[in-house]
Amino acid sequence: ENSPAPLPERAIYGFALFLGSWFGFMLYLIWAYVPEAWLFSLGLTYWPQKYWAVALPAYLLVAIGIGYILLFGINMMSTAPLNSTHTITDNYAKKQQQKKFQEEAIPALRDIPISEVNRMFFLPEK
Amino acid sequence: MEERRYRSASGAPIALRCRQHSASCRELAVRCPRLQLRSLSAVTSAVWLAAYGLFVLSENSMVLSAAIFITLIGLIIYLHFVKIDQESLLVIGSLGIQVTSSYASGKESTTFIEMSQVKDVVINEAIYMQKVIYYLCILLQDPGDPQAVSEVVPLFQSSMPRLDCLIEVYKSCQEILEHRKTVPQSS
Repeated sequence: ENSPAPLPERAIYGFALFLGSWFGFMLYLIWAYVPEAWLFSLGLTYWPQKYWAVALPAYLLVAIGIGYILLFGINMMSTAPLNSTHTITDNYAKKQQQKKFQEEAIPALRDIPISEVNRMFFLPEK
Repeated sequence: MEERRYRSASGAPIALRCRQHSASCRELAVRCPRLQLRSLSAVTSAVWLAAYGLFVLSENSMVLSAAIFITLIGLIIYLHFVKIDQESLLVIGSLGIQVTSSYASGKESTTFIEMSQVKDVVINEAIYMQKVIYYLCILLQDPGDPQAVSEVVPLFQSSMPRLDCLIEVYKSCQEILEHRKTVPQSS
């Protein structure tokens, strides 16, 4: 039921969004460019200060630029340090249950302890 | 007692020295690259040029003396607290593991971990500053719960050897650690 195929309802939503965004853009241009006197003479007196027509896009662009740096920084901060046990194991691996070994069957998937992995990689046994 | 040359994770040349004191006692020392004359002169020239620029702007000769003091004291602090000359690992089979860092000024700082706390010495890989590096670490266990790893102690943090050097150290340590399981511990 959740296919991404085009449906009549989706076409209607899309067109409504298209009209709405054009209307919003025209409203923004009118608010930013039409002089206040003309707006007052039409009776539209309670609109925000025109200062915000420049300030909001400036804030948005600076926020996007800072967002790149912030995301990078948050990633670096949440990386586990070299001396933490999170680099070796976690709650799911500690509580895992061992399935019984069956002959001729593929062994069950499990988290292998790091000592065993190291021995397999770095101590070649003849 | 032989010394082999390897490279650190950043490409600098390091040397590994392995000494066997007895059947169950081994010392592995990694020597870090020495302070380069060219980087020292570069930093000194940069600081002194900046100080001279400030002097030309402000006509205050104290700036020059301050720059000289800062350079000297900065160099002493760097050699005493930051620049590590050699990191060594002394594994004694029945006793414990001793980790020593010697700084360029001659200061040595040691940490001793007794054998009952050591679960294993493994090569772990982790993300470190936009890179994935291999590093050797000692896994510590809680004496009450021998299955769980209570702490991870990373080794050779300043020299950062590459995998080939780490494998040599790992094999040496494992040879000694294997024997402690066969020999019963006396408490």
